[in-house]
Amino acid sequence: MDTFIQLTIDALTLGSVYALIALGYTLVYGVLKLLNFAHGDVFMVGTFIGYGVLQLLGGAESPNVPVWALIPIITVAAMAGCAILGVVIERFAYRPLRDAPRIAPLISALGVSFFLANSMQLLFGATPRTYNAFDLGNGELYFKGFDIGNVRVPLLRIITIGSAFVLMIALYLLVNKTRTGKAMRATSYDREAAAMMGIDIDKVIRFTFILGSALAGAAGVMFALRVPTTAAIGFVAGLKGFTAAVIGGIGSIPGAMAGGLILGFAESYTQGYISTKWSDLVVFSILIAFMIFRPQGLLGRADIRKV
Amino acid sequence: MKKGISLLVVLVATAVVAASAQANHQTSASAAKGFSCKSTFTLPFVTPLTGGAAFLGQEQMSWASYAVKTLAPKLGLKVKLVGGDTPVEQGATPAQDLAQKYVGDKSVYAILGPSTSGAVAASSATYFAAGIAHLSPSATRTDLTKTVAGVKEGTPAFFRDVPGDYIQGPSDANYMIKTLHVKKVVIMDFQEPYSLGLADSVQSVLNAAGVTTIRLSAPNTTTDYSAFVTKVPSDANIVFFPTQKPADAQTFAQQLLEQGKQAKVFGGDGSNDSTQFKVPGSYVSNFAPDITGIAADKALVAGWQKANPGKPVGSFGPPSYGAAQILLNAIHLACVADHGVLKSRRDVLRKVKQVSIKNWILGGTFKWSTKSNDPLNAKFYIFQIQSDGSYKLVG
Repeated sequence: MDTFIQLTIDALTLGSVYALIALGYTLVYGVLKLLNFAHGDVFMVGTFIGYGVLQLLGGAESPNVPVWALIPIITVAAMAGCAILGVVIERFAYRPLRDAPRIAPLISALGVSFFLANSMQLLFGATPRTYNAFDLGNGELYFKGFDIGNVRVPLLRIITIGSAFVLMIALYLLVNKTRTGKAMRATSYDREAAAMMGIDIDKVIRFTFILGSALAGAAGVMFALRVPTTAAIGFVAGLKGFTAAVIGGIGSIPGAMAGGLILGFAESYTQGYISTKWSDLVVFSILIAFMIFRPQGLLGRADIRKV
Repeated sequence: MKKGISLLVVLVATAVVAASAQANHQTSASAAKGFSCKSTFTLPFVTPLTGGAAFLGQEQMSWASYAVKTLAPKLGLKVKLVGGDTPVEQGATPAQDLAQKYVGDKSVYAILGPSTSGAVAASSATYFAAGIAHLSPSATRTDLTKTVAGVKEGTPAFFRDVPGDYIQGPSDANYMIKTLHVKKVVIMDFQEPYSLGLADSVQSVLNAAGVTTIRLSAPNTTTDYSAFVTKVPSDANIVFFPTQKPADAQTFAQQLLEQGKQAKVFGGDGSNDSTQFKVPGSYVSNFAPDITGIAADKALVAGWQKANPGKPVGSFGPPSYGAAQILLNAIHLACVADHGVLKSRRDVLRKVKQVSIKNWILGGTFKWSTKSNDPLNAKFYIFQIQSDGSYKLVG
């Protein structure tokens, strides 16, 4: 039972980070019908922004601000930095290609991905950067928390899972309960019709990139609080986020959340109960199964065309 | 229109054939003339310069670069060091592609690296066929130089200046048995040649001594080890963690503490980095001692630090300096024997094992084993991480 509880905590931690990344893919796809393959690298930049701000604030061993304020500060900084990056990417890499064949922005996205990964490596080197969250408050993020049976749920995991769910709920409310969200949904359904109704499409797309990239920034900090980061992590993180988005139904916000969690649970339980060797095999088999039997994903809309 | 296209195809084909004939003629002429030792040699260093193990490649490059800069002029050689990137996450393909590229470059007479065992296994046959000596400062898998269960993945053109896992594995396992008195050990591998070889080697010695072992295997791209830590039994004494990414060893050790597990992490040479792996009580083994403690290396270390301000002296760099030193000497010996014009790449290959170096960077004198392309009398060192993060030699 302890193993099950521990694996479930692992799955929720992992899945919530995947879900936040997947939301970025799904938001952009929903509005632009573009697979933003640079999104994993925006996530990676988020981890570095968080690291940089943490160092500016004195580092984990002797921070200049209380621990309770430190994590929100670095998270907001990473979200803001990634939001700006997202706007820049959209403006210079995607907007000029908006009316080009769909392969063009896809190739541009891959180019941006390589550009970001290699630039970060040139700028900051290849040595993994670690937040040393273990040293924050003498390890209180790791050792404080609450117990379920014999299993400790550390504060850091509570923060990660809790923050991710708060962000996901906020996003859901924003998209479904605000005027801006309504404009996003309208653009997603039919861009031309939305424009004819007076919606500023450029503004909506820019806002979508701000949202998606900010979520990637938050995910980056939550991820890097626990594991080291390098300029190379964007690829795998992006791949997992993309898989989660496809499983959940690309374009569907609840789908991306569900997809992320499914991926987290699949990975964690496979490692725990089947074999540690098989986790990627199982994860990508689920992706293939969805592509074959339910290509629109768990909560996505089937693309019905009249002939 | 069709006639026009046909004419164009014929013209292009003719141009390709003519260019190819010209290239063949040039290659034959060049081979006949040989390669002047006054020309600039290209010395590629095949190592991970990007990806999760890039810290290793970049440290190695900095030391090889220092060796080329300081030693080549003394030997009367002009050498251009170039990096060939083999990210560990991309498997064998980059090493194979680079091997094809360097075989085709007539200024390449030797290769530094490949740094990782997987890259050696993937490219050694190509280098051997071209007669190119390749010397690794960090590929330790046993079957690169010795036959294991009927398999030998390295060729006679492959050398290494550090001891193999046939020394590291038993040395680590024996330390666990005799000094740490372990009863239960979890052994990780990362589904790539380096860790598989080392994990197998440690496991077989532990099992032979009656120690209970549990094997876990993680994809090489794993970043979060929580689920693996969950599988570590509470009564395990050690987790053998032969990663090539020291930061991952740090993460694993911290996650063990997070889950209240008692086991200590024991890393191989790939996790030997005091700036990244510093959880007190953990162990690491390495093929090189801390050279800052070797009196004869004082000037060398000072020179490298001047050329690389602010960078720490790690354990992967010094053997790379040594590897460059051996290859430069082999090229020099071949140039002397061939009277300044190298006839063949094999001339350099034949000279590699004739190189012996006094005041070897890792201490003592460097000599080759007569039985394999390994260094003679090399050993592994075991360190324990102290509460201040320093590495203390314990075995």
